[in-house]
This record gives sequence, structure tokens and C-alpha cells, in this order.
Amino acid sequence: MSAPAVLAAATIPDAVTFALAAVICVVGALGVVLMRNPVHSALALVMTLFGVAVLFVEQDAQFLAAVQVIVYTGAIVVLFLFVIMLLGVDRRERVLADTFRGQRVVALVLGLMVLAEVVLLARTRWTTGAHSVAGPLDGPGSNVAKLGRSIFTTYLIPFEVTSALLVVAVVGAVVLARRPGLGEPSGEAPDEADGASPVGPGASGPGAEAADAEAADAAGAGTAESTAGAGAAAGAGAAVTR
Amino acid sequence: MPDPLFAHGVGLAVVVIVLVKVVVAFTVLLVSTMLMVWFERKVISDMQNRIGPNRAGPFGLLQSLADGTKLFFKEDLLPERADRFVFRLAPLLAVVPAFLVFAVIPVGGIVTIAHHTVELQVADPPMGILFLLAMSSVAVYGTMLAGWSSGSKYPLLGAVRASAQMISYEAALGLTVVTVVLEAHSLSTRSIIASQAQHFWQWNVIRLGFVPFAIFLIASTAEMNRPPFDLAEGESELGGGFNTEYSSLRFALFYLAEFMNTITMSALAVTLFFGGPDGPGFHFLRWLWPILWFLGKTTAFCYVQVWIRASLPRMRYDQLMDLGWKRLIPLALGWLLVVAGVNLSAAWGFAIIGGGVLAAGLLYQSLSVGRRRRETVTQPPAARALAGVPLRPVARPGGTGG
Amino acid sequence: MGSLDSYLPILILFVLALAFAGLSIFASKLLAPKRPTSAKEAPYECGIVPTEGPPQRFPVRFYLIAMIFVIFDIEIIFLFPWAVVYNELGRFGLVEIVVFAAAVFFSFLYLLANGALDWGPVKRIRPVTAAAQRTTSSTVRRVGAGSGEAA
Repeated sequence: MSAPAVLAAATIPDAVTFALAAVICVVGALGVVLMRNPVHSALALVMTLFGVAVLFVEQDAQFLAAVQVIVYTGAIVVLFLFVIMLLGVDRRERVLADTFRGQRVVALVLGLMVLAEVVLLARTRWTTGAHSVAGPLDGPGSNVAKLGRSIFTTYLIPFEVTSALLVVAVVGAVVLARRPGLGEPSGEAPDEADGASPVGPGASGPGAEAADAEAADAAGAGTAESTAGAGAAAGAGAAVTR
Repeated sequence: MPDPLFAHGVGLAVVVIVLVKVVVAFTVLLVSTMLMVWFERKVISDMQNRIGPNRAGPFGLLQSLADGTKLFFKEDLLPERADRFVFRLAPLLAVVPAFLVFAVIPVGGIVTIAHHTVELQVADPPMGILFLLAMSSVAVYGTMLAGWSSGSKYPLLGAVRASAQMISYEAALGLTVVTVVLEAHSLSTRSIIASQAQHFWQWNVIRLGFVPFAIFLIASTAEMNRPPFDLAEGESELGGGFNTEYSSLRFALFYLAEFMNTITMSALAVTLFFGGPDGPGFHFLRWLWPILWFLGKTTAFCYVQVWIRASLPRMRYDQLMDLGWKRLIPLALGWLLVVAGVNLSAAWGFAIIGGGVLAAGLLYQSLSVGRRRRETVTQPPAARALAGVPLRPVARPGGTGG
Repeated sequence: MGSLDSYLPILILFVLALAFAGLSIFASKLLAPKRPTSAKEAPYECGIVPTEGPPQRFPVRFYLIAMIFVIFDIEIIFLFPWAVVYNELGRFGLVEIVVFAAAVFFSFLYLLANGALDWGPVKRIRPVTAAAQRTTSSTVRRVGAGSGEAA
């Protein structure tokens, strides 16, 4: 269906829902970028994810909507919040300072490139194949039943490969969180292994600082990896919906 | 199957029916939460040889109303180090999911009102039970953000404990729900109770073996941070846990959410494992009996929750995490596969059980490997050599970052 | 698209719950006194004057748990569509999920063997020689009668 036909077919409740969800998504996305406090940014991200979940429901992708909330909101952003909240409660990000030299220019160029790509894909016929093959799943039963039938028959190999990917994610998480030389997967000294150690920024010496930095790295890298796993999962789902 | 109420579009009558359902559910949920607070206090005092609330109203029934009203008149404090926005947002994030979770629970049979087929539950979305898991994963935010935004020690410690605990037990909870879905072939809560209808030996608690129900009961108790898993608010060590800094009505909202979750989890246990509103009825007032059955079973479960609270001491944090990760998750996964195998044929069932025994052996072995590694870490080289462990260069403490 | 209809009651309940919470907070704001003092606004520490802020860093274990949960959550989510269509898939479905569960289980074993899910203090095994010297006479100091220092 072309865009005008889709618009014509939409009923008023659909249109209103779409408009609201779109506003929620965009406001949330702006919030992620513009908020000063990283926790507020993470909450804005949750808002965007909810908006996307509503859009999924509107597309009758019930299962994806639930996954969106359970995995992204309930697990991944919780992990983000753990990392942000527990690595420095009062730390405000200095958003005006550049971490890398010339990052603004690069970001601008990359952003324009992505924008151009989107416009080219949507507006021109330069791409090969059909414009979009999106459409409802066929077969009897609910959305979840159709999805399950696709994943566990047609797309079985990607599904089993995903399990291998998740195993890699587990190994990565453990290896990165482990202190080299010791069998103990922990960034703290064995002495303070019992519960939370109230170490203030002033109290930590250079050694502790290094261990903490390592912990932060491990958490960050693990995050990226698990997000990749989740992305793959969602990607598999999206592939099936198409 | 989609909700039959909306089969013929959304007319005025449908909207009115929906509104009535929602308002009735909302009111009943609020009132029953107040009764639940009273019930818990009364039952616990009975078990502890006390009288409990007995001043406000007959048998002290109005005590929770009195407490709630009092909290309206209390000063609402904002701690100086608090993050103002998140501090105000957190109670809403706790209480709204608590209301929404109840929406998918079937409280009665299917009736016909003004030519419309109405399921006696607030909503029956096709993803039913996943909606519930989604809401319970949102509920983590209320706890976590409340503790963080207070800018104070005890709430932060309580919140970190509580959120790690909640996400840990969510995995075991999810696995038992999958076991139930295996029998129902659908995620809709209405289909789940339909698959257990007619005879009580078709109830999932019997049909699936007792184990998934037991795991569900433990995991849901931990998910709600109720005793014996209430480390989030361990009074003896953390003041009051994640809501220490809250006062007045914002505190009341956390309290409300906690007790509302108790009721909802009891209702959910009834839905998933005890046939929901299923039970023998009589020929007069046909619509009433399922509701009475549902209420009776849910009340019984609320009693069980209070009973657990009254009799079990609080667990230690490492015991709590060990129980969740090392016992419940493998057990739930194994039982799921056994149920799947038995559903196919007895031979497959035995094959899976054999595999499960092998897996349990491996599990035990890896646990002991993990324990040995932990123990040898702090031993001096001589003791290691005695224990038969090859010597390794020991890293200088603190010198890891290079 | 009729699927949105079944969420109408949930939307109404959401609005109602939000309105209830918002209105009661508003009512409490009207009814309650507002006399903050610095003592009231200070972080609650059971009456002791707070000297330092809340802990800034927590053990890596907490992040590790959150990370592992992300992975397990994804694995469990895959089981839901499988459970819905299991009766159609039959033996094929059982075999494929056993393969999947085996992968999950082996990564789980790896976690356990590496102690990634262990909590609490590391158990110390004291060397035997040290234990022999530690008797009640060497570790307990008696105050008053019988002690050599007191005499």
C-alpha cells in the first residue's frame, strides 16, 4: 500500500493513537539527548520505548509490543539505570565539553548522512526490489501463534543461532566482570565482598579508582553486548513480521 | 480469541459497559486493598496472640481508612538531596502498574448484557499474561527510582537490593508462566482459565505437577518484596528501605501499591493454577457463582500470604539470590521440558527426565567447581599446594588497572 | 484494526489510576501543613547527623546480575511463542527447544562454575598452623582475677 492509501484506511481512533504515540516517541527521544541528568535521559528513553510499544500494538504486533516493554524497559534500561545510578549519584554530565576532538562536526556529518539515506530510501526508486514487503502475517490463530509458527519452522536456524549469540553474551559478561589473575568475578577486593561498600570519591585511592574504572568498562561493554543480543532477538522478530 | 465485546465495533453501549467494568474494578480493588491491610494486621495479631486493630469501626474494620485519612493531613517532605522530579514520579510508577495488572485477571464467567457478550474481567488483550509480566517489570522502576531519588543512604541500599531481587525472580516467574501457557496454547488469561474448566483435576496445580505452582508462589512473594524476602525494607538495618524518605500521601501510595500487588498476585495464582472462577454452580443466579468462587479462592491465597509472613524469618541476601538463581531457575526450566515431553508421550517424558538427572549432576559439579575456586582464592600458596591446586602467580591487590 | 479496541479498558483504567493518585496528592497538598526545617529535610539516618553522602559505587555483582538477567529474559521471551504453538509442532518442537535449552543450560553452568552468581563474603580457609595457636588463652583477654598482667 502506498502512503496515501494507508492514511485513507486509518480510522480516527487509529490516527489519534498514532499521533499520541508518535509525540511520546519524539518527545522521549529529544529528552534522551537534551536532559542534563543521565537518569532523566534514561527515563526519557523509557518513554520512547513505550511509545514504540503502542505503535506495535496498533500494527497488531501484540507480541513485539510485550517484548518491547519486558525486554527493553524491564531489563535493558534497568541495566542502564543500574550503571548510571550506581556509578555516581550526583555526577552531572558535562554536556558542553567534547570528549573527542571534533566530535560535533563528525556527528553533524553522520546525522546528515543518515537523514539523506532515509530520504533517499523513502523518496526515490534507487533501491532494488520492492519498496516494502511489510504486511500482516498469515495463518490461523493469534499474532503470537503466527509468530511462533514462523520462528520455529521457517526461521528455525536464526533462532538457534540466537541461542549461540546469547551464550557468547554470557561468557562476555563474566569475562569482563572478572578481575584478571583471580577466579573471582568481581571488581572489589575480597575483603569488601559483603554487600555494598560505601566508598566515596575522596576515599578511593588510585588502586580502587583503577578497579572501579575497570568495573565501569566491564559493565559498559557487557551492556553493548547484551543490547546487541536483544537487538538480534528483536531483529529476528521483525524479520518474521515482514 | 479476541475480546467478544468488541466483535461488532465500539458503540455507545459498549463504551458504557467498559466504563462500568472499569469503575467497578477500580472501586472494588481500592476497597479490597483497605480490607486486605486490615485482614493482614488482624490475622498476624491472631497468630501472635494479640488483638490487633479493634477501635475504628466493628472489629477495627475501618482502621485502614482512618490511617489513610490521617496521612492526608501529614506534611509532605522533600529531602534536600532529592531529585525533585524523580522523587515525585516514583510513587506514581509504583501505584499505576499495580492498578493495571488487575485489568487482565478474569473474575467471573461470560455473561450477556443488552445483547453484548461480556467477559467479567476488565480487559482481555491477546497478549494477556505478557501484559502482566510487562507491568511487573515496570513496577521495578517505582522501587528503584524511589530509592535513588531520595539522595540518602538507606533508601539507595534498599532500592539496589530490591531491584536486583525483583529482576532475579522475574526469570523464575516467567518460566512457570510459560509452563502454564504450554497447556493453554494461548497467552490470553481467558483461555488459560478455559483450559482448566470443568473438573478440578484439570486445574494446573494438579495437571502440571505441584512444582510450577510452588515456584510461582515463592517467586511472586519475592517479586512483591514481601516477607520472608523483604530485604528491601529490612527495618533492623535499613530504616525503612527504599521508601524511608517518603512521608504523607506519597508514602501511602507505596503502601497501597504493595497491598494491591498482594491481592493481584493471589488472584493471579488462582487464575494460573486453580482454575480462576471455575467451580460448581447452581441453577439460580448463574453469573454469581463463578465470582464467589474466584473471591473465595483469592481470599484463601491472601490468607496464605499472611501466613507465610507470620511464620517465616527474613532470609539473608546471599541465600535469597542462591535460591532464585541456583535452584528455582534450573528447576523451573527442567520442569518445563518435562511437562513438554510428557505432553508428547510417556517415552519422551522419561527421556527428558533422564536428561534432567544428567543435567542435575552437571549442575552439582559446576556448583562445586565454583565453590572450590572461591575458596582457593584466599588461601596461601602452601595450603593450595596441600589441596592439590596448581600454583598460580597471585595478582597484586589493587594493581589490576595497569 | 480491531486490536486497539481491547486496550480501551486498560487506557481508561490507566487514566483513572493516574487521576486518583494525582488528585489525592493534590488534596494532601491542600490539607497538610508545610513547615519544613533543615532537620526535617536532612537525609534520615535514625537520628544521627549524616556526615557523608550515599555510597557512590556498588559491587560489580549487581551489574552482573542485571546483565545476566537481560540475557535470560530474552531466552524466556522466546519460550512464549513456542509454548503457544507447541501442540502443532509436536516432536520437532520438543527437539528444537531441548537444543535451545541445552545452550541456555550450558551458559548457566559456565556462570555457576565461575562463581558469577555467588554472593556474600568469600569463604576463607585458615591454614591449619594458624588455627593451632588460636586458643581461648591467646584470643580472649580476661579482665580482673587470674590474669598475669593484672597482678
